[in-house]
Amino acid sequence: MRIRRETFFSLELPYRERLALERTVFEGGPGPRVAIVSGVHGDELEGLYVCHRLAAWCEALEKTRPEALLGQIELYPALNPLGLDTLTRSVPIYGVDLNRCFPGHAEGLLPHRLAHGAIDALSGAALVVDIHASNVYLREIPQVRIARAFADRLVPLARGMNLDVIWVHEASTVLEHTIAHSLNAAGVPCLVVEMGVGMRVTPRFADQVVIGILHACRRLGVLAPDVELESATHAPLVAHDGNVHYVNAELSGLFVPDAAHWMAVGRGQRLGRIVSPLGGEALAEVRSPVEGLLFTLREYPLVYEGSLLARIMEVSR
Amino acid sequence: MSMPTLLHMTAPSREDFDIPYHDIGPAHEAPRVALVAGLHGDELNGVFVLSRLASFLRRIAGGARPGAELRGRVIVVPAVNVLGVNVRSRAWPFDGTDVNRMFPGYASGETTQRIADAVLRLTLAARWRIDLHSSNADFEELPQVRLYQPSDEEREAARWLGLPAIVERPESATFAATLVSAWRTQGGRGLAIQAGHAGSLQSGHCERLFRALLDFLEAEGVLWGVRLAESEDSVHHFGPRQAFPVISEHAGWFVSRLKVGQWLRAGDRVGFVYDGFSGEQRAEAKTPVAGLLSGIRRQPLLCEGDLLARILTGDEVGEVAETYLMGHGQ
Repeated sequence: MRIRRETFFSLELPYRERLALERTVFEGGPGPRVAIVSGVHGDELEGLYVCHRLAAWCEALEKTRPEALLGQIELYPALNPLGLDTLTRSVPIYGVDLNRCFPGHAEGLLPHRLAHGAIDALSGAALVVDIHASNVYLREIPQVRIARAFADRLVPLARGMNLDVIWVHEASTVLEHTIAHSLNAAGVPCLVVEMGVGMRVTPRFADQVVIGILHACRRLGVLAPDVELESATHAPLVAHDGNVHYVNAELSGLFVPDAAHWMAVGRGQRLGRIVSPLGGEALAEVRSPVEGLLFTLREYPLVYEGSLLARIMEVSR
Repeated sequence: MSMPTLLHMTAPSREDFDIPYHDIGPAHEAPRVALVAGLHGDELNGVFVLSRLASFLRRIAGGARPGAELRGRVIVVPAVNVLGVNVRSRAWPFDGTDVNRMFPGYASGETTQRIADAVLRLTLAARWRIDLHSSNADFEELPQVRLYQPSDEEREAARWLGLPAIVERPESATFAATLVSAWRTQGGRGLAIQAGHAGSLQSGHCERLFRALLDFLEAEGVLWGVRLAESEDSVHHFGPRQAFPVISEHAGWFVSRLKVGQWLRAGDRVGFVYDGFSGEQRAEAKTPVAGLLSGIRRQPLLCEGDLLARILTGDEVGEVAETYLMGHGQ
């Protein structure tokens, strides 16, 4: 096994520095490649920790069974390094969402060049896992999101990923410029994993996802069939636009939840209250519209009218 | 003065806030023209011009200008992103979303989806709708009309504004979520205007915009008797493949003396690029094509691949320039 840490793309900044995209490549035999991508949004850190845990696992494998790596595992932890450096979701200077710039352009602006460099590097992979961490407002249970157009190919891949939810959704036209859409449209399977919350790391979610990724690597022949892995402990439920219900704030204030993330809730059950910081009164009670599982829960308490408070996947007990 | 409001919203820790608008002219008629600015809170030219225009139209409606008449109803929304204007933010400040990527909106959705829905509902009834923008703070645009797969009627009406350039641009997936795109999808006539850059007022561009909107209102028959002196500008129409971006392959400092609206020959200098540390000249940027300088970089700090200028040419000069739109307003 060979371990390479390398710059795969760089460009010049105004004053002395270069913006460099780094990757770590664990190179075994000539088998398939699996790539893990994170940090497309500079305020999402969960994927960086997943990369760390995978790197630790691969480094341990190198010491114990290096021949068990039949293909290649590639880690791209920070596709938006300026965003990560500055706690900024978008690409600083340009103010654009890098995940609306794919497939990019070799002669475009900086975000498009970054996107193009990433697509170029990922081309030919047997699987790309693009890890997101929601945003600073919402906490998500580990899940994979799949546009319906790619569901036939991706849902079977996602089933063994040790995740809690597979959400098959109708994609809006804006999402055609995401890294996942660009790769899937080009024939490179890409799973979008959402987990945790922005600007934080949730180690138990990361460990869960690492197990899923390693199982996928073994199934795809990146790892030897007899390599020992921790057992998968999560089987996904399938969400779709018909069974996902959104709960939005009808008033502005502070949202204080009663319910815990990923708990089962009944129709009409109170999920929390919106209270006023200017007075002692509760402005509103927030209740579940259906019986189901609370798979998205607001983390950031301040809410405006319309702010998303929760998503509930309808399931019957 | 009591104003109608587009949307009333509670706020978490301060007074409720409104998005007010002006409704001027005969109240019993459907609006003839709806004018919108400030979807991006830092694009101040449009916000200022529409507030001044509203004042001007009110005075005419009130008979303060003998011989002039307001013969149709006009809706004017100087700023949709009120909070963004107050804190100088392009996006909706609370959650960082771009209001002009939220259309057609959703009345029961997220905050900016609700705002988008309210803007669309207010403006749909108007015969004509115009959305005013600036570029971002880094790039100055010549006042121009931008059309996206326009109808013949929109092409013709774009000329009423008398702005020096009418530019047809390709529609992209990103722009499918804009107000102008929603207007077209819902059936009706809409134009977009770009003028100047964000973050400050450029008085020359503002005066030109003000005059352009008066000309438009006169041509539509909404306004009568205020026609200003004929503009000396002639109007040039450019197709979707007639915009040439001048890109820098060097980083550093960019310095230019050019002004938007100048006509350039092929090979003319656009500016110089200097090394950020040593101060040495790294490149003399030139335009390979002749044409109208419709945009110029005003931010001196330059990354590799940044846009220096945009030239509108008489010839078709290459690929659809959608790549270069990102981050440049609207």
